[in-house]
Amino acid sequence: MKYAFYPGCVSRGGCPELYPSAVKVSAKLDIELEELKDVGCTGAGVLPQYLSDPINARTFAKAEAMGLPIMTICSTCQGVMSQANYRLKADPEYRTKINKEYLSEEGLEYKGTTEVKHLLWVLFEDYGIERLKSLLRKPLKGLRVSPFYGCYIRRPPEAITPTKELNRRKNYLDELIEILGAELADISGKGKCCGFPILTANEENSLAMVGKHTGEAKEKGADFMVTPCPLCHLNLDGNQPRAEAQEGKEIGLPILHLPQFLGLALGFDPGEMNLKRHIVSTQPVESKVSMLT
Amino acid sequence: MEVTFKVYRKDPEKDGKPGRSNYTIDIPEDATVLDGLLKIRDEIDSTLAFRASCLRGYCGDCLVRVSGRARLSCVAKVTAFTQKAPEISLDPLRIVPVIKDLVFDWDAFMWNKIRAVQPWLEPKEPASDGENLIPDAAMKDLRKVMSCYYCGMCDEGCTVLPVDFNFLGPAALTKAYRFAFDPRGKETRERLKILEEPKGIWDCVHCYEADEHCPRGIEPTKRIIALRDLAFKLGITNEKVARHHKSFAASVKESGWLDEGRLAIESEGLTNIKGLMKLLPIAARAMARGKAPIPYLHPKRPGADKIKKIFEKGEQETK
Ligand code: SF4
Ligand code: SF4
Ligand code: SF4
Repeated sequence: MKYAFYPGCVSRGGCPELYPSAVKVSAKLDIELEELKDVGCTGAGVLPQYLSDPINARTFAKAEAMGLPIMTICSTCQGVMSQANYRLKADPEYRTKINKEYLSEEGLEYKGTTEVKHLLWVLFEDYGIERLKSLLRKPLKGLRVSPFYGCYIRRPPEAITPTKELNRRKNYLDELIEILGAELADISGKGKCCGFPILTANEENSLAMVGKHTGEAKEKGADFMVTPCPLCHLNLDGNQPRAEAQEGKEIGLPILHLPQFLGLALGFDPGEMNLKRHIVSTQPVESKVSMLT
Repeated sequence: MEVTFKVYRKDPEKDGKPGRSNYTIDIPEDATVLDGLLKIRDEIDSTLAFRASCLRGYCGDCLVRVSGRARLSCVAKVTAFTQKAPEISLDPLRIVPVIKDLVFDWDAFMWNKIRAVQPWLEPKEPASDGENLIPDAAMKDLRKVMSCYYCGMCDEGCTVLPVDFNFLGPAALTKAYRFAFDPRGKETRERLKILEEPKGIWDCVHCYEADEHCPRGIEPTKRIIALRDLAFKLGITNEKVARHHKSFAASVKESGWLDEGRLAIESEGLTNIKGLMKLLPIAARAMARGKAPIPYLHPKRPGADKIKKIFEKGEQETK
């Protein structure tokens, strides 16, 4: 089982704890990764489509030439790439235009066959839940966990959930929490935005969203929240103290990246998953995990 | 079948306190929610207030929350909500000032915002013979947008509006798209300027919720993104956003990927001392945890020159 690995900038920039934990967890699961190095940023929904589509087409062409599907560990990368890929696959004329104008000079061509999958999707759709279960060393019994998907990994439907069966993608994180032995502390905003995209344009609204989601999880008795998106993590973890100040309430909810969450259940110790690198202290999670047998 | 309607009540002429009335009625299997409401008003309680006009899903007037979900009551079948128990709840939208019972303030909810985006055409050229004709094909995309019937489902589903009621919202911004992209219109730049003010296009989190809620398939989020891409192309006028986007684009253009340290600092503006001070405690905390990327020590990616070329080409072509 092998993927062209697209780690995204944030997994080494703003959330440097993510990249190594994803690599360790993949190795443990025997998922082979060949990192795509000579590729650009997806555009993250900041760059306009007329710039990001060609950059992404180039990435898809490279993976296609390697004969591998792409694996991401960032909902934002996943969402932006899924949308670009949808346009390039659905409209051969558009693809030809991009190939001709942007890729041919480098001798590249995107034929429209590359699949792009987030680690979360890989687990359910390629890897297999039974196989994952057989590798669990430390089911997270007694821990209550809130899911937080973020928006980019649930919508828009034509790119993210193109078939009825794939509609299940909207629920993978909920399912995974129970598969890893933890208890689901469901929250109403799990598929809403974390607020990160408007941190510059409207900080107050952005922080209000952080306060709402993390506050609700806390009220539901969550020990921590898990997210497949490092940008959600940047806001929900990194800006939680500011959200607390703005909203005038104490929250203190640890936020874990998906690979860290998997890693703990696979038997890695919290240090190996770099939990210390978060802004909100993960100490309570670590002590609960250390009591598990 | 017998169904109990649990209806939100509020009467400003009495105490103005919210409450609930329960009505159990006998309605046919294929009854709509509005059929039930009309029956209640006609036969049981003539003081119950709600809105409806066309009764067939054209006008969008009858928007309410049925068992928590925003629905047009004239097309929503009661049986879609009674699988678990023979009862449904009816409430006004989550985010609007209520006038009486299920009747809420549409001016505050939508019309004031629609007015704010100047929903009219300013033609480039004077109309010849009183008509400003364009080829049918040029209107294909806009016709879709013009099928909006102002039902407000997109606003009700929006992520930002419950946090900030003053956000223009997807319905009004979709209306703005309709005129910004009209080939007969002039001064798109001026139009965009209004939309780029706080509470406008840059306040949207592009979460695609609105697209999921629109019963007409108009895809309001994609319209907002198109407005933003257009602003990017013509030069962003919202200062904060312009700084952020410029820095982001420059970083990807020069190195192939994003330099977050540089982005954080440049977004605040290098001369904005107060803004930069605000970043300090975060940076210090992040640094202590080995988290903060250090700006200007940002290596180029292999292939960065190729990305740069794509950039230059894209920028050229859209000029
Ligand atoms: S989308 Fe974000 S994380 Fe992904 S490559 Fe671009 S900046 Fe990096
Ligand atoms: S995409 Fe923007 S306008 Fe649409 S629902 Fe989300 S925040 Fe609201
Ligand atoms: S865009 Fe769609 S959901 Fe929004 S008001 Fe118009 S018809 Fe209703």
